Amino acid sequence: MALIDADPSVRYRALLLAALDCVVAIDHTGRVIDWNPAAERTFGWSAAEAVGREMGELIVPPALRERHRSGLARYVAGGEPVVLDRRIEITAMRRDGSEFPCELTITRIVQPGDPVFVGYLRDITERHLAEAELHASRARIVSAADEARRRLERDLHDGAQQHLVGLALTLRLARRKLGSDPALVGELLDEALSDLATATDELRELARGLHPAVLTEGGLQPALASLAKRAGIPVTIADVPEERLPPTVEITAYFVVAEALTNVARYAGASRTDVSVRHIGGVLHVEVRDNGRGGATMNGGSGLRGLLDRVSAIGGTLFVESPEGVGTLLRAELPCAS
Amino acid sequence: MATTVLIVDDHNAFRSRAKRMLEAEGFEVVGEAADGASGVDAAKRLAPDVVLLDLQLPDTTGFDVARAIAGETAVVITSTRDDEEYDARARRSGACGFVSKAELSGAAIEELLP
Ligand SMILES: Nc1ncnc2c1ncn2[C@@H]1O[C@H](COP(=O)(O)OP(=O)(O)OP(=O)(O)O)[C@@H](O)[C@H]1O
Ligand SMILES: [Mg+2]
Repeated sequence: MALIDADPSVRYRALLLAALDCVVAIDHTGRVIDWNPAAERTFGWSAAEAVGREMGELIVPPALRERHRSGLARYVAGGEPVVLDRRIEITAMRRDGSEFPCELTITRIVQPGDPVFVGYLRDITERHLAEAELHASRARIVSAADEARRRLERDLHDGAQQHLVGLALTLRLARRKLGSDPALVGELLDEALSDLATATDELRELARGLHPAVLTEGGLQPALASLAKRAGIPVTIADVPEERLPPTVEITAYFVVAEALTNVARYAGASRTDVSVRHIGGVLHVEVRDNGRGGATMNGGSGLRGLLDRVSAIGGTLFVESPEGVGTLLRAELPCAS
Repeated sequence: MATTVLIVDDHNAFRSRAKRMLEAEGFEVVGEAADGASGVDAAKRLAPDVVLLDLQLPDTTGFDVARAIAGETAVVITSTRDDEEYDARARRSGACGFVSKAELSGAAIEELLP
């Protein structure tokens, strides 16, 4: 086994220089005695500027400074350690006064004489942002599902249910007139049949919006062909893989194309729209490109935002490129490993 | 004399079918309204024996309309939706009761009238 035989101070330097975390050492009065390159990058003070100054003044936000100073003084005077050797989350301050969340451990270097403390500190702004975004996108997914259920109830109520209620009233009247007015009963039955046909159509549309049965039965090829047919605009489809993919990938790809085609029909004023779906190296690449007016943004409505959440939820990525006057490209990359 | 009815409902198709059915059962439909405000107006103006009142109106709910007119005329609330609570809520708002649209008939209305 190879041993590090460099002398401990050389070893300490090397660790300090290479560390990705900020390493800051202070003496018992709180003055900086070591300040590594990561600390220089994070806080904006060079080692030459920092060493010798009171750490509290450099990196502890004013609101927390007194607590930091009294805590250090209490410990040095023989008090119980409160913050040593465990992970804490705290707010730190950069040279420009801006504050950021960080995680921190402080340890005491055991040596004769006055104590020396070393802090390891890591900026966790990114992690906090990612956590907040994760939270927000979860909340959006839940409320999108709630909203979809509300819309479904409303669609059922305003659509099929109204026709079925009309049908019930018509049939009840027909039954009443059965003996006395057979001609009217004939008319009422015709009307009932037409109400029934309308209700059936609406239920079929609704069911398709919930989950396209053709996707379950036949996969993306027929499902996208049927979307294109119903889009109300000319759509060219290329390269849809014939093989079946994991259901979550298929349905996500389907919703990407569905939302894109709805948007093209509504906003783009395009003369052509191209859909392509390719399965390359375990990733499904879904593209919908139109030559319309462009200007689409991810945050303009709930459609693309919702797609982004859906795509992110299965580990994929979604991009929109939509220069004004040139057209829009909506592109999703969906990992297929199941 | 025939019982006079005012139908308040935002769905045209429902109003016309309900009217046809009630007339076949001997009621006289004296007016129709498509929202709550004009329903209240029509109820005051026409003073029908009963108002057949939809629960979900574009501007308000049937319960609120019932509260506004129940002192002057009998009210029967109706809806495509159905819920165990609707009848009790209808009565609390001053109406005679609730009948779901699918079960609507002249007899069902008459049963609820005082
Ligand atoms: N293909 C396109 N061409 C031009 N503009 C587009 C296109 N797609 C989207 N947009 C623009 O981007 C906005 C955001 O689209 P998105 O689908 O997110 O929301 P929406 O369609 O307005 O609402 P929703 O999808 O919730 O019904 C749209 O309002 C529209 O202005
Ligand atoms: Mg949209």
